[in-house]
Parts: sequence; C-alpha cells; structure tokens
Amino acid sequence: MRRGSVVQLVALGAVFGAVAAAVALLITWLPRSASEQADRIDFVFWFVTAICIAIFALVAAVIVYAVFNFRAGPDDDSDGPPVHGHTGLEIVWTAVPAVLVTAISIVSAVVLARNEHIPRAVAGSPNALKPLVVDVTAQQFAWLFKYPGYENATSSTLRLPVDTTVQLRLSALDVLHSFWVPEFGQKQDAVPGLVTKLVITPKRLGTFPVICTELCGLGHAVMRSEAEVMTAAKFEQWATSQKAGGGGGAPSAKTLFVSNGCNGCHTFKPAGANGKVGPDLDKLAEEARQAGKPLEEFIRESIVNPNAYVAPGYPKGLMPGTYAGLPQAQLDALVKFLADGSKQ
Amino acid sequence: MRVWRRLLAPGWLRVPWMTALFFGIGAGITVLVRWLEGWHPIWDGSIITTVELTTVPLGFLAGLGGFDYWLRYAAGSPTQPEDHSGHGARSWKDYFRINTDHKVIGIQYLVTTIVFFVIAGLLAMFMRAELARPGMQIVDNQTFNGLFSVHAALMIFLFVIPAFAGIGNYVIPLMIGAPDMAFPRLNALSFWLLPIAGLMMVSSFLAPGGAFAAGWTGYAPLSVHQPLGTVFFNMGVQWAGASSIMTALNFLVTIITMRAPGMTFWRMPLLVWANFTTSLLVVIATPFIAGSQFFVLFDRAMHTHFFDFSGGGYPLGYQHIFWFYSHPAVYIMMLPGFGIASEVISVMARKPIFGYRLMALSLMAILVLGFSVWAHHMFVAGMAPWLRVPMMVTSLVIAVPTGIKVFSWLATLWEGRIHFTTPMLFALGFVSMFVIGGLSGIYLAAVPIDIHTSDTYFVVAHIHYVLFGGSLFTIFAGIYYWFPKMTGRLYDERLGKLHFWLTFIGFNTTFFPMHWLGIHGMPRRVADYAPRFADLNLFISISSFALGASTLVFLYNMIKSWRFGPAAAANPWRSLTLEWQVSSPPPIFNFDEIPQVVGNPYEYGVPGARHAVFNGERVPEEVRVR
Repeated sequence: MRRGSVVQLVALGAVFGAVAAAVALLITWLPRSASEQADRIDFVFWFVTAICIAIFALVAAVIVYAVFNFRAGPDDDSDGPPVHGHTGLEIVWTAVPAVLVTAISIVSAVVLARNEHIPRAVAGSPNALKPLVVDVTAQQFAWLFKYPGYENATSSTLRLPVDTTVQLRLSALDVLHSFWVPEFGQKQDAVPGLVTKLVITPKRLGTFPVICTELCGLGHAVMRSEAEVMTAAKFEQWATSQKAGGGGGAPSAKTLFVSNGCNGCHTFKPAGANGKVGPDLDKLAEEARQAGKPLEEFIRESIVNPNAYVAPGYPKGLMPGTYAGLPQAQLDALVKFLADGSKQ
Repeated sequence: MRVWRRLLAPGWLRVPWMTALFFGIGAGITVLVRWLEGWHPIWDGSIITTVELTTVPLGFLAGLGGFDYWLRYAAGSPTQPEDHSGHGARSWKDYFRINTDHKVIGIQYLVTTIVFFVIAGLLAMFMRAELARPGMQIVDNQTFNGLFSVHAALMIFLFVIPAFAGIGNYVIPLMIGAPDMAFPRLNALSFWLLPIAGLMMVSSFLAPGGAFAAGWTGYAPLSVHQPLGTVFFNMGVQWAGASSIMTALNFLVTIITMRAPGMTFWRMPLLVWANFTTSLLVVIATPFIAGSQFFVLFDRAMHTHFFDFSGGGYPLGYQHIFWFYSHPAVYIMMLPGFGIASEVISVMARKPIFGYRLMALSLMAILVLGFSVWAHHMFVAGMAPWLRVPMMVTSLVIAVPTGIKVFSWLATLWEGRIHFTTPMLFALGFVSMFVIGGLSGIYLAAVPIDIHTSDTYFVVAHIHYVLFGGSLFTIFAGIYYWFPKMTGRLYDERLGKLHFWLTFIGFNTTFFPMHWLGIHGMPRRVADYAPRFADLNLFISISSFALGASTLVFLYNMIKSWRFGPAAAANPWRSLTLEWQVSSPPPIFNFDEIPQVVGNPYEYGVPGARHAVFNGERVPEEVRVR
C-alpha cells in the first residue's frame, strides 16, 4: 500500500467519522431522561454509538476509496492482483471485533444489573424509603395501577413519587401487553399467568405517556395511559386520599368503572372517561332503542355478552368477554351507574 | 375415450375435479366425525375451512400430478420411466406444469416470488397511506393489523426465503457441474407448494373477520382468539415450510453427492457453501415453527391448552418455540445473500475472494451460533431473567463472523478492477446497508438498550436494513447477475442502474428516520400515533411511495429485456465458475461434457488459471456424476 493512499484513506475515514458524529450529536436521538435507569441506558447507547461510528467510518472510507480509485475503464479487461488473503489481517479483524463485543457485553451486563437493583432501606437513615410496589394490571385495552402499600388504592394513571425506587409487578388478564414509558427507558411485557417485574427510579417531575408496545388486538394503538411523577409529599397526600376514598366498604360504581378498565375504551361523562375505542356510553339510551331492548337489560347483556348486539361501525369481538366473570354485586352497581348516567 | 384419458392424465384438466373431490373428502370426514360425536352444528363453516386448508391443496397437487410417480411406485404399478420429456421449457405453458428441470423450476420460483413481492409491497403502500397522518383515515384497526401481518408473512415466507431457493435452484447444479438436482420430482413438488401457501395467506383477507392480524410472529394467546383468518396463516406457514424443507434436503443431497470430479468442498463457490449452510439451518429449524403453528391451531380448533394459562398452558412457550425457528430464519434469509455478494464482488472486482476459507468457515460459525441466540427477541418478554446475559453475549459474538465477511469483501475490492454493473452496485449497496443494519443490531443485542427499543419503530428500521438493504439487495444483485444465463438475453444496463439508485435513495429515506421514531416513543404495529410524529411519518410515507415506484423500473426492465433484449454471450462477465462455461441459456442437461474441476473458483489475475476443464468426455444419457 502506497503512502499516499494511506493518507487519503485516513482522511476519508476522518470525514465519514465526523459526518456520523455530527448525525449522532446534532440530532436529538434520545428522549429526555426521567429516570436513573434511563440515564444508564443512555450511557450504554453512547458507548455503543462511539464504537459504531468508528466501524462505520472505516467501512465507508474503504468502500468510497475503492469506488473512486479502483474503477476499471470501459475497455479494461485486466484483472486485479491475485491476492488470496492475509493471515495477519484476518486475525486482526477477527480479534478486534471480538474485543469490542466483549466490552459491550460487560458494560451492558453491569448496567442491566444496576438497573434492576432495588436498594435496601438503610436502618436509621432519614431517607429510608422502602421500594414502592405498584401492581400493574393490563387488559384489552386499559391499564390499571394498584398500590398495595396504600390498601390497594387504584388508579387508571400511574402516579409515582420522585427519587424513589419503584417496583412494578405486572400481570395481564387476557393477552400479552407491554408496559413502556419512553422517558423512563424501561419496558416489560405483561404475561397472562405470570407476574413480571420492572424497576424504575423517577428523577424528574412531569407527566409522561404509558404505551402498550406488544400487539394486543384492535385497540393496541390506543392502549395508553399516563405516568405522573410528583413530589414525595404530594404523592403521599394523593395516595392517602385514595386510601380513604377507596378503602373500606364496597367500592363506588365510578371506581369500578375505572378499575375494570372501561374508561380505556369508552367515553362516559359521569365517570370522566373519554376513551375512543368502543362506542360512546353517553349515547346508551339511544343504542338500547336501536337494539329494541329495555335500557338496563341492554346494558347488562352488553357487558356479559358483548357480541349479542354490536353498535354500528364497530367490529364484532372488539370488546373482551372477560366481564362475564364480574361478581354479581359489581355488575349490578355498574349497570345502575351506566343506566342512571345515560338517562340524564 | 380421449376425453376420459385427458381428464385422468396429470394436468390442469384433472385439477378441478380432484380439488373438488378432496374438498368433498375433507368436508365429509369433518361432518362424519361431528355427527358421530354428536357435536352441533354438524356443518360448522370455520371447522370445515380449517380442515379444507389441508385437503384442498392436496387435491390440487394430486390433480396437477405431483404424486403420480410415487403413488404408482407405492402401489406396485409400473412406474413411468423418466424419459426427460419433463425437462426444459419449449413454451410458456411448460412453466405451468409439474416440471422436473431445475432450470425451469428456478424460473418458476423467481417469477412466483416476485409476484408475491409485488403484492406484499402494495400492502405496505396501503399501510404507509394510513400512517401518512395521525388518526384513522383509510382502513380500520383490524384491516391495518391484517395489512402489516400479511405484508411481513408474504415477504418472509413467499419472497425472501423462496427467492433465494429459486436462485439456488437454477444456479447450484450448474455451479457444481451437475445435470440437475438430486431429486427432480421432489423439486417440482416443493415449488408447487409455494403458490398454495401464498394464495392461502393472501386469501385470508376474504375470511370472515379479515386477514390474520396478530403479526407475522402470531404471538399466542392473541392469535388463538383471533378471527378465522389466523388459520390461513397457521396452515400457510405449514405449506411454505414443507416446501422449504424439501428444497433444503434436495440442496444438501445435491451438494454432497453430485459435485463434478475434482470439485472438493474447498473448491466450491461461496454461493454453494452458503446454500449448504442455509439448507442445514432449514432442515433443523423449520419443524419448530411448524410445531408452534400447529399448537396454536390445536388451541383454537380443538381447545387444547398449549398456550392458555388458565388451562395450565405457558404463553411464553410459544415465543421460545417460534424464535427457535425464526431467529435462524434470519440467517436463512441472509446467508444465500452473502453467497451471491461473494460471487458478484469477486467477478466484478476481478480479484480472488479475500480469505476464501475463512469466508466459508464464518458461514459455518453463523450456522452454529444462530441456534444459540433466539431469546434475544424476548429480553422484555418475561422469560427467566438469567437467560438474558448469555443470549446477549452469543448474539454479539455473531458480529465477529459477520465482520469477517464484511472486511473480506472490502479487501476483495482493494486494488481490484471494479466494473460498476448493476449487480455490482446492488452488491456494494448491500455491503454498506448491511453494515448499518448490523450496527443497529448491536444496539438491540445490548440488553439495556433493547429494553428501551424493543417493539418500537427502531426494530422496524433494523429489520428493514437487514432484510431490505441486506436480503433484497442481494436478490436483486443475483437476478441481474444471472439474468443473461437464465434468459439468454442481456438486461438494460441503464434501467438497471436507474433502478439501483432509486431503490437505494428511497430505501434510506424511508427507513432511516424510523430509528428516531422508535427511540422517541413510537411503538410498532400501530395504525395511529402521537401527533408529534406526524411530519416525519408523512416524509416516510412519501419516500416509501417513491421506493415502491422504483420497483416498476425493475419489472419493466425484466419483462422488456426477457422478450426483446440482445442475445447474451455464454460468459458476459468473464467469470470462472462453471455455470458461465456453458451456453446461455444452458443446454437441457447443463453440460454436454463432464467438467473436470482443477482449481479454485475465484482465481482472477492468476495467469492461466482455470476452475474447470472440459476433457472431451461425453456425458452419458443417464447421468451419474460421481
């Protein structure tokens, strides 16, 4: 290899490296982190990116150099030099990638372990918050968050105190779902019959989208909720108020509406719900007339056996059949709530 | 009497009544069983359909004559000795028969797969039209889910995998100096399973409830409870898979037993090596996806509980079995492309392939490692947590043999005399795009990053860089490269280059922005998305239409050149490998003389080097080479 070509090649590599670095740095590639886990993931991201830029620059430089320098003329029937290989080079490009992937493996494994670490409460420390446990229930097409530390207070949005390690315990009632908050960087599938776990330590106040990322049927694209990170004091206040409201005695019908995920798909003003997957429940009275049934009977049938009457414009089988298993008392309460609400 | 004989002879006249007969048999058995068991209703449309997806194709194949020889043999009747009348194609009609000539079958494969490629591409256009703006405009949710599911299933099972099988079918026997594949009748049958599988998947749009809509991955338990269209996927995969396995067995036996004298393993062209390793992957892995789809079918039709947790089933079991095939399937869709790239780059750079033995060994390394990485698709699935780090390490280690291949191609270019023909452009486009796809694969292999990007558009971008920038570019390279050999005509070089540049630019503007979308929070497989992603999605949709339009240039070039192109010489690329040492198109039995292989296949620049010599020995009528 001539000296001039080495210089050219290095220059090309530098140019491509600079271009790739500019693409990496000038575009905002990562969402603004809102958790300690996302910070560590970002570190792995940049670690891998640095290696990838180097490899890309090398490959691009060689291809472009070859394209411009080794182009055969239109009538050039000659052959290149019969080089069959070079043991030294082949050892190098086997060994160097092996070292690089080993480094990536080690960094990733360490970050993974730290991201799933739950700090133990230090006795006597004033900041000795236990990990907050939240039970996440996923079903077509709604999220439900339950706080076992606060007498199973429930919420259709996820509320978390800042700077506290939270352990989510996920389960699914029907099919696979997946919990993802891009700003937290953490994702975990919810699997029927299993309890899967996810650790998040929010570090920034704000409201972030909760997204279902595992195809779960018709309403997959709208299976959304929100995660609100609040100050520890505000969270404590909210959770305690939920405990007082939701604990003791039978849950209110409005709570039932939310805790069963009805609000994920339906609009219903009395419950403050504005889901768009299924029919608008404010128009239940009209639908019942269409179906030719008394209002209460129609509502009950539509919950227990959703395919008996399907509102025009909605496909059959959209609504899960799991509500046939609701306890009788809850079913009665929901029917009454819906009937009263839609008569107004 | 003549009419009777024609109705009974294998062919399209026998197809309608045989298909009807087998439909009757399927329906009859189902009704009989339901009547005997006292199940109501006795005539259940969805169950009948499920059974018919097995029996109707059998009737079709029997009518066409796919089983005639073996049935006679099994029944002890005199078999019709092969008179070679099935070889060669004299008119277009010969492409619509059971034909045992590997060259005819290769073209049957390629034309069929390109038809399904166009259909699947159109489905993607519909998808991008819906995604051009947030909200729902063109299709409803179920249809959209059907669009991306059928798009992916067709592209994978009816385009990439069989297109490579088609190229291999045409080229491999020629490359190793054999007159045909080892099992020509099996070869014919394996082709005819393909249109069956493809029509089944496409026609699922006509099923009540719409096409299968649980993704090409068909994850249980969602797929178990989907409308009837899912069964068309379950069974379509069986037919395509059976076709794959038969072809792979055929390749293995052909490559092991039918090489010309002197063609040792270390003298085989790298495409032959690639098809050898791919075939090993196919025969070992494909039964797993067959199993996974049968289990889903049983859960649905027979109320078993393989994946239903309330009956003691294990939902994650589906993913383990599915990916135990479908990860190796990624290499099934890539290794033949590696082979094609090696052929094209060496010939067009006029240099021996750099590090030939390491190139072959790295294929074997990918074959072995490919079986140890399946669970990297499941890092967030909820499987045993300890399994993630080992699977990450094996996944990353695959970068080593893949890197060897990329660096060896680059070294082959070095100081070559590079001819920028269309196949070479596609081969170089493949190397550069595959590098990007490989690098984004590193992000996905690293568990913490994968936890963030899994099931997002980042994955969509990655798989298209690997399967479009990788597999599809090499398929195009292969089609252009062997077009003169297959048709005896030259394609239009200017249109070929136009096709490359339109595809290359359209591909990058379509898929590169998807990386950003995924990292910033757009999940895959959604018909609707947050308004903040609107502008970029509109840009992607417009790019994708341009990309789709570039295919028209390809189709026009192929059709025009096949009919009117100038006649091709035997060896327009001045290649050393055996397929170019015979006329274009080759004689009916490939070689009039037995080639004697005397050297390596890529000795460009070595004065007086020959890969093979023809020593004047005539090939006997019933050919038995070695």
